[in-house]
Amino acid sequence: MSDVSRKRILVIDDAALVRTYYRAALEARGFVVEEALNGLEGLEKLLLEPFDLAIVDVNMPRMDGMTFLQTLRAKELPVSGIPVLVTSTEAKAQDLAAARRAGANYYLVKPISQEMLAEYAAMFCGAPR
Amino acid sequence: MADAAPQITEDEFRRLADFLYRRTGMVFTEAKRYYVERRILDRIVATSSQSFAAYFAYLRSGLRDEVEHLINAFTVNETYFYREDHQLACLSADLLKERVATKKPGDAIRIWSIPCSTGEEPYSIAIWLLENWKDVDAYDIEIVGSDIDTRVLDAAMEGVFGKRALMRLSSELIGRYFHELDDERWQILDDLRQSVRFSRVNLIETKETRAQGRFDVIFCRNVLIYFDDESRRIAAENLYDSLLPGGFICLGHTESMSRISPLFEVCRYSGAIVYRRPQELRA
Repeated sequence: MSDVSRKRILVIDDAALVRTYYRAALEARGFVVEEALNGLEGLEKLLLEPFDLAIVDVNMPRMDGMTFLQTLRAKELPVSGIPVLVTSTEAKAQDLAAARRAGANYYLVKPISQEMLAEYAAMFCGAPR
Repeated sequence: MADAAPQITEDEFRRLADFLYRRTGMVFTEAKRYYVERRILDRIVATSSQSFAAYFAYLRSGLRDEVEHLINAFTVNETYFYREDHQLACLSADLLKERVATKKPGDAIRIWSIPCSTGEEPYSIAIWLLENWKDVDAYDIEIVGSDIDTRVLDAAMEGVFGKRALMRLSSELIGRYFHELDDERWQILDDLRQSVRFSRVNLIETKETRAQGRFDVIFCRNVLIYFDDESRRIAAENLYDSLLPGGFICLGHTESMSRISPLFEVCRYSGAIVYRRPQELRA
């Protein structure tokens, strides 16, 4: 198992069940997980505390995932350089391309298995395999 | 319970309440009479007693731990997590598979637990889906818990449970979805509390059931048996009305919708028998 102790991940999703599902997957692998309910809250948390990765949903109230990404990437370093993994139920090529343009490091189409999520999280946190 | 079961007089109820108080410290006031009486009548039948007096004598004799049986009868009817989990297995293996066949990722899936009592059932559904349904993040799952009693709804929203409610959950599941308040009480995680919406609904008030919208799956267990024929018919019609075409309803394992209403079709799955609102006929 990868050593990911103390690596911090922010899960940004408006669905409480999804946050619980991702949290369980990531905590089982030793990540420290924080949550935000929308893009705006996600930005606030990223500006206040250090994170190694943000996992963000696209369709959310108040601030959606794409707006979150564009706003984050326009900030100063180092916060603007945080890796971001976008998750969405939209699987079309144009959705993927839009996420890339907004600054996503990677795009996963829901449903995402807990194993897959933990694998990608470990990869983006730079944890040894 | 048969209509021929012996009735309990006011004086008998008082003597029994007094006995139970002295033996157990549990207080059963006149307000709880209906609740107590139902369970006593069950025990009278279970012990083949001919009358209340005969049963009371048996109870006081201390034979075969009847006091304990009676106390259990008061408490085993309280619900607990993962009760009738074969239905939950049917939900994740069969019912949702059929429901999502008509949907696309991101669409809503609405599940209703009525009556939800103190929340064990709707929270069980949430935990079960997190553990057993691989598409849990691909649909907008909405779980609604409703009950007629606002006191149980308050407790459900607080989400604090004792050992008995958690007895069917592994320590692993308890560790994952609850935090320990003290030796006797656990509180369900905030995210799970937020994943269930609670509302007060009387099952026989059509305007109240309609206000909840339509559902893909309804769990309505062990409540229709307590209604008289007329209320049961109204409740069945309200439940039908609350289902999306092709939606499912799960009753308690001793209940049968076929005896109550012809509106539903029976569906037999490996784990459970459930009822379905037929798909609307296409022109």
